[in-house]
Amino acid sequence: MEGSVSPLTAAFAAAVLAWASVATLTVVGRLGFERRRRFSASQPVALRSAPARSRRLVARAERHRGEAGKWKRIAALRTVSRERHPRRRALLRWALEDRDRDVAGAAIRILGEIDDDWATEMLLEALRANRYPRALAAGQLERRSPAIGPRLVQLLSDTDAAVRFWGATLLAGCPEIARGELIALTTDPEANVRAAATEALGARSGRGVRDAVRARLGDDAWFVRVHACRALGQVGSPDDAPALAGMLGDPWWWVRAAAKDALRSFGLNVAGVLVPQLDSDDGFVRNGAAEVLQDIGFLDGLARSGKEGVLRERILVAGGDDMRRTAETRADAEESARIDRRTGS
Amino acid sequence: MSALHVLHWTVVVCISYLALTYLLYLLLAVVGLFENAIRLRESAVEDYETLAASRFTIPVSVMLAAYNEESAITASVRSLLALDYPEFEVVVVNDGSRDDTLRVLRSNFDLAPFTIFSRRIVQTEPLRAVYRSRTEPRLLVIDKENGGKADALNAGLNMARYRYVCGVDADTVFAPDALLKGMRLVVSDPARVIGVTSHLTIALDPEATMAEPIGRRRVASRPFVAYQHLDYLRAFFNNRLAWSRFHFMLCAVGAFQIWRRDVLEEVGGYARGFTCEDIELTFRVHERYLRRRREYRILCLPDNVGTTEGPDTVRKLVSQRERWQRVIDESVWHYRRMLFNPRYRTVGLLGVPFYLVSEVLAPIFEVLAVLSLAAAVALGVFHWTTFALTLGLIAFANAALTASAILADDLQSRVYRVPDLAWLLLLAPLDLFLYRPILMWARLKGTWRFLRQDKGWYKFERNARATPT
Repeated sequence: MEGSVSPLTAAFAAAVLAWASVATLTVVGRLGFERRRRFSASQPVALRSAPARSRRLVARAERHRGEAGKWKRIAALRTVSRERHPRRRALLRWALEDRDRDVAGAAIRILGEIDDDWATEMLLEALRANRYPRALAAGQLERRSPAIGPRLVQLLSDTDAAVRFWGATLLAGCPEIARGELIALTTDPEANVRAAATEALGARSGRGVRDAVRARLGDDAWFVRVHACRALGQVGSPDDAPALAGMLGDPWWWVRAAAKDALRSFGLNVAGVLVPQLDSDDGFVRNGAAEVLQDIGFLDGLARSGKEGVLRERILVAGGDDMRRTAETRADAEESARIDRRTGS
Repeated sequence: MSALHVLHWTVVVCISYLALTYLLYLLLAVVGLFENAIRLRESAVEDYETLAASRFTIPVSVMLAAYNEESAITASVRSLLALDYPEFEVVVVNDGSRDDTLRVLRSNFDLAPFTIFSRRIVQTEPLRAVYRSRTEPRLLVIDKENGGKADALNAGLNMARYRYVCGVDADTVFAPDALLKGMRLVVSDPARVIGVTSHLTIALDPEATMAEPIGRRRVASRPFVAYQHLDYLRAFFNNRLAWSRFHFMLCAVGAFQIWRRDVLEEVGGYARGFTCEDIELTFRVHERYLRRRREYRILCLPDNVGTTEGPDTVRKLVSQRERWQRVIDESVWHYRRMLFNPRYRTVGLLGVPFYLVSEVLAPIFEVLAVLSLAAAVALGVFHWTTFALTLGLIAFANAALTASAILADDLQSRVYRVPDLAWLLLLAPLDLFLYRPILMWARLKGTWRFLRQDKGWYKFERNARATPT
């Protein structure tokens, strides 16, 4: 038909229109964003809203329908919270109990911004409830410790092992309290709880702490032994080095690595304990002892002093060819640097 | 049936193929926009401040594989050490570089060799030495015999200490919040989220680009580089975000791939038998988890986590893209049992078929389309105006998708200047004529090399950069 547009031409025109529309939307949207940014930077935010706006906000924050509604609800929750709306507590409670993880998660984050006691209590309730990742509530509670320490102690006697675990974990940030309760928890039937209690004891001192941590070196669960090694590195002294040196032969790599870290933390004081381990029948123990002696500077110290050639050789034999090579490279580099310093080059 | 008849039908088949793939891309772009909007809103309510300071933010071992990266390595490692993240380590693996990569690292980070008794979870080429930095305790450098990127990452995996690992490329400069953004969803759901990748941009000099402030960052004025930038935007915003939404994220990109470490250990680490390691690993993890009917998520996020170095010549680009084509072909062929297999859920029913149609078969259909359309016009099967309109239709239809990716990126990051956005939008319709032919050639070459079972890397030389101050 004369004057009609072919389907191909129509499709071409539609494609051009689609490109032009999205392109215009992109540029205009961005310009609008820049304008809003400039405007909001120059205008103070109204703390109190007009009644109509307030009602609308509360309605939005109460419930949602659909994906878009959910994000509007979250935005409204944040606004009513920041504007200290009288109904914010009830709205946040409903949000916490919402089945949608995004809404509940946002409520936890918003509660984290509120310093009031009731917000802490709601976060503790959220930690007890198993509806969303407990780590989220714990992260917000962590920001309030040690101020909320006494309330965290209550979590240690909860019947739910996960709550006891989080209680012990959070109490690591409150080193002044709950020493006795945490020591008691190191014999909890749940390995996760024992691990958390042991870790928390690493930040404490006083009677019974060291013994309780040392006792966990023999725990059946490998990750409890890991925490025991780390904690002993913090609360122990070089007197604990023999016990930690014994962990260098643990079948689990993680435990051996934690034992090495703990031994390193005592510095050169552990050298006397580690030297006999160089002749151990267990290859892990020999390697571990040599590695720690290298890391604390004992091996390089022997090279520098020019004495104890036999002892240095024992370490290098226990550490293997690679340790010999790296030690020689470091010694050469040090020697070159010394010569450079002397000659001023 | 006459030859002209065959030609006519060949053109029809090719146009149908192009229409089918276009519809698929259009669907993905719409879903990608939706996913982008959700992530944007999620990110807006995320408490990054707490995440950055919390003991409960899961520690990460960042593993960087480097081969002949003397010009790029320092900027990359510095950007990693400057990450705003509570607990992490950086394990750099020098994969037997023949240039001065190791010397540059030793002098810039004050390295000294030490012996570390690590695990041997995955077999690798022998290590030559392990270095610790005297100035930066979070940095570990492994020097090893050359064994390819997968082997280097496996060496890093053996040495990594934390529960999550993040494989990165040595030619990429990262944003300070890269790890925080990448780990955001992992922290919320570590039991299910086993893999994460995120959006990266491209530049000739990533360090200079990343130094520019948000909102005033420039896009390369050279169309050749700008088109690569557009290509990345399309790949992330139009495709990968949608794959992520549909649970078939098939490529945790090598430049930024977070994995739960036990997952990598369970599947045996990175595979050396493929041209590249990233796509194959993602396929393998999907295959293992779906076969064993486990709940898991591999996600792609729209947050811009860094800028990677793009090739500055056609030859380098072809070398890079033919390698990408090969690894896609290799992975689809290797995991062909997943194709249309309901046991593999959306990965088998949508993801692998999508790769087959849009990537593996694309070079064949593209060449066939060009040749048959040209022949059809020459022989008078179609009028030249039909030919021109068809080309125009394809160009603008693709440009609309590109514009949608630019829009999504701008909504997400607001990082580029408005004139640069306009520049990208204007370039989009010419993509078919100025950039696609290069990709077409690269993909053909990749397909040919795949058929010849060539597994070479053919690494392109790094671009010349300004001397760091």
